Amino acid sequence: MVEFENPSGLTVSAAASPEASICSTGNQTAPSVAPPRKKRNLPGMPDPDAEVIALSPKTLMATNRFVCEICSKGFQRDQNLQLHRRGHNLPWKLKQRTSTEIRKRVYVCPEVSCVHHDPSRALGDLTGIKKHFCRKHGEKKWKCERCSKKYAVQSDWKAHMKTCGTREYRCDCGTLFSRRDSFITHRAFCDALAQESERSHQTLVVASTEGGLKVQVVPPPPPPASSSPPPPLTPSTRVLSPVLSIQSPELPENPSGILQQQGGTGLTTTAAASTASGSSTSSGNVSSSSGVFASIFASSAPAGLSQSSQSPSSYTDLLCAIGSDRAVAEPMSLSLSSSLYLSNNSSSLFPPSDQDHHRHYAQAPQPALSATALLQKAAQMGATGSNSSFLRGLGLAMPSSSDHQDNNSTCTASQWNSDGKQENNVVASGLGLGLPGSDLMMGSSSLFGNKPTTLDLLGLGLGSGGGSSGGFEAFFTSIGGSLDVAAAAAAASYGGVSSGGGDWDGPSDRKPALL
Amino acid sequence: MKTELRGNTTSMSPQNPSLCTTPQTSLLKGCLGSLDGACIEKLLLHCASALESNDVTLAQQVMWVLNNVASSAGDPNQRLTSWFLRALIARSSRVFPTPMNSFGGSSSGTIRRRLMSVTELAGYVDLLPWHRFGFCASNSAINNAIQGYFKVHILDLSITHCMQWPTLIDALAKRPEGPPSLRISVPSWRPLVPPFLDLSCQEVGQRLSNFAKFREVPFEFNVIEDSPSKEHSNVHCDNFVLSQLSPSSLQLREDEILVVNCQNWLRYLPDEQKGNSIHNTSSRDAFLDVIQGLNPRIITVVDEDSDLGASSLTSRITTCFNFLWIPFDALETFLPKDSCQRLEYEADIGQKIENIIGFEGNQRIERLESGLNLSQRMKNTGFLSVPFCEETVREVKFLLDEHASGWGMKNEDDMLVLTWKGHNSVYATAWVPCGFEA
Repeated sequence: MVEFENPSGLTVSAAASPEASICSTGNQTAPSVAPPRKKRNLPGMPDPDAEVIALSPKTLMATNRFVCEICSKGFQRDQNLQLHRRGHNLPWKLKQRTSTEIRKRVYVCPEVSCVHHDPSRALGDLTGIKKHFCRKHGEKKWKCERCSKKYAVQSDWKAHMKTCGTREYRCDCGTLFSRRDSFITHRAFCDALAQESERSHQTLVVASTEGGLKVQVVPPPPPPASSSPPPPLTPSTRVLSPVLSIQSPELPENPSGILQQQGGTGLTTTAAASTASGSSTSSGNVSSSSGVFASIFASSAPAGLSQSSQSPSSYTDLLCAIGSDRAVAEPMSLSLSSSLYLSNNSSSLFPPSDQDHHRHYAQAPQPALSATALLQKAAQMGATGSNSSFLRGLGLAMPSSSDHQDNNSTCTASQWNSDGKQENNVVASGLGLGLPGSDLMMGSSSLFGNKPTTLDLLGLGLGSGGGSSGGFEAFFTSIGGSLDVAAAAAAASYGGVSSGGGDWDGPSDRKPALL
Repeated sequence: MKTELRGNTTSMSPQNPSLCTTPQTSLLKGCLGSLDGACIEKLLLHCASALESNDVTLAQQVMWVLNNVASSAGDPNQRLTSWFLRALIARSSRVFPTPMNSFGGSSSGTIRRRLMSVTELAGYVDLLPWHRFGFCASNSAINNAIQGYFKVHILDLSITHCMQWPTLIDALAKRPEGPPSLRISVPSWRPLVPPFLDLSCQEVGQRLSNFAKFREVPFEFNVIEDSPSKEHSNVHCDNFVLSQLSPSSLQLREDEILVVNCQNWLRYLPDEQKGNSIHNTSSRDAFLDVIQGLNPRIITVVDEDSDLGASSLTSRITTCFNFLWIPFDALETFLPKDSCQRLEYEADIGQKIENIIGFEGNQRIERLESGLNLSQRMKNTGFLSVPFCEETVREVKFLLDEHASGWGMKNEDDMLVLTWKGHNSVYATAWVPCGFEA
């Protein structure tokens, strides 16, 4: 595989022709002679021998750039335009394949911060990289009218339009699914089904809005063979249908769905209900939800409901009541997006274990410092917290650690005040590290087998001693050196982007490779 | 600034990106956050070799750098790094024993166990086609294999708590000649890995029974109990193979056809050769022998397509880093950075990473084997591969079409492989013993 060297972080093609540019031959100042690569099938790299191509954003976003001079019809490929020109009796020429050897091409994203900028995450086909670029880095110009989802690629939008709002499956609990298998799986385990199976053993009395018919149901009638539309709902619904003359197989709105939307209280109720079995469970559920139902009915207040809602003491009463007034059920409609039904509600049930969840990581686009410089800084940080432990500093929970913590904060507070090297201490204390004195740090060992220092950074109680000096330089050389070696050896390495060999040392005017 | 971090004694997160507000640290944080995948991988490897050579100082320095890259709420590389860093810290707390080792000692590491409800789990397995792919392929293969049989017994060995079966029950209900009687048995032991459920096996089975009744499929659900005399370890259990998989504990019946479903399962069976026994086989091989002896009609094996059980730590780090970016990348395409579902899903992957990187010996229970290697093992044991028919392939393709367009599928050597942007992620295979007697 040929690396593309890109020290400035810009796409090479921008400087060259506007067409696709193949970066295998360096055409800028960066040396591009690649040492012969060992073939190695590393995971994550589809084909180590493939040619890596970076197209310009303009090329990727372009739709019809080849335009016929006669009729102004646009084409995505020159070949297609040429074939079209035949129709106008214009001279046409199809470009022949220049190289005899057919070489697999893979494409990288020109956007430097993108994960697909990395040759080992390259995509295998041109259409794929074009779509990726549009989707990820392009403007979302296509919008679905029904659900307001936006797409950058027209075919994505079209694919979405096929399923949006059409083939949606609804569970009794109110959740919507665009895929049948998700619906079936959910349904099998859903509380609504569990409750129905309880109820199927009881006698149901259904009050109708249309003239006082009473229907008694003991065993549920068998569900019909399923075809489109989706499989039938619970037996009680089937009973309701003939009574109310509603043929729809679905109940669009359902109170327990609303329960779920109401900050999770309904869910906890049903969850609690699910762990117990028996009729007491279901009645418990209904009674807790009756307050909700009452308020819902109060808000919609159509005339038709007043007849049927005697008291919301029976689940089927409510189903009946709601079913009879579909038109006014709008206020209760839930617009849950397809199968991500817990997308933002789960936060109320499961407070995230990491504090990070609540923080927004803002990435400051700062250039300048390379990884080497950062490691140097790590070494230089002079802090004198003798009791502080590195791992503690990383915020891991500790039993009986409260006093240690106080020690730490006092320690670093005093570091702040007393130590002249404020800049370094800011870094160290800000990140919660209490690292020992700078001279000890500088004496840290190298990667390759110098005698390791016995710094008591982890609070082990070992004697702290000075380490060998000069080890750190060896460390950096080894990193730079190992990168050179690695870059040569790894067929699927990322090396081309991030490590021009030896460039790692010190802040340089080139940006480190961005994500 | 720091008190904010320290004040929280139960915080498990080693990354605190927005801790300090001085200009120097934000500058540092900004450029540290911009290291790319290759740098991160190298840093991880440096850290690992530092730990292995007992170089505390270097390990800590590298960890410091990684700590500033990592963020469980950043972009996929950062998120992945945060879990790797956690794993390395867990490992280091074993290498350098400290007073705080008390929480690092168990196999579940530092990560809290999160219980889901059944409906949440149903949504969880559908977040990505990662699990659904295997379900679909296996169910289709099973459905084909049991054509013509009227009593079916499925031995379900999986970590997803029967999420696979509703769609099979649904498919069986639609059989023109009527559904067969279906019995599903699950072992009472399950590896201590996510996803965790807030219900017991029995309760899950009860729900499945309700559903089967609703679809009018005669159904029975059994939990295979351990014999009370045996004690089983918390981590994994060789006793399990012997005690729970005998024909008597399974209560095999004469007129039933047996199906064995192994989904994300074989990796938890240790693969070390046990030197002293006559046959010199590992638990994994012994398990396969036992299964073969049960004469099943079909065995479906689904797992992730990567070799993550190597003895070399550095090899595991590299392979793991270059494999598990896939679900992180997939989640990034359609869930926002602060989505709880996404964070929880990633945390579960993180737990896997922690086990693979942070533990050794008996505690390292994740010993994943790639599809190719698994296939070879099955063939060595005496199984024949069963190809997936056209209809199955079509069904799986249809499933994938409904997901994001990066998902694809390969069909090679009787193995279906789920791919994300061309990279292998999950494989599905089906097998039958050479000497199967109908």
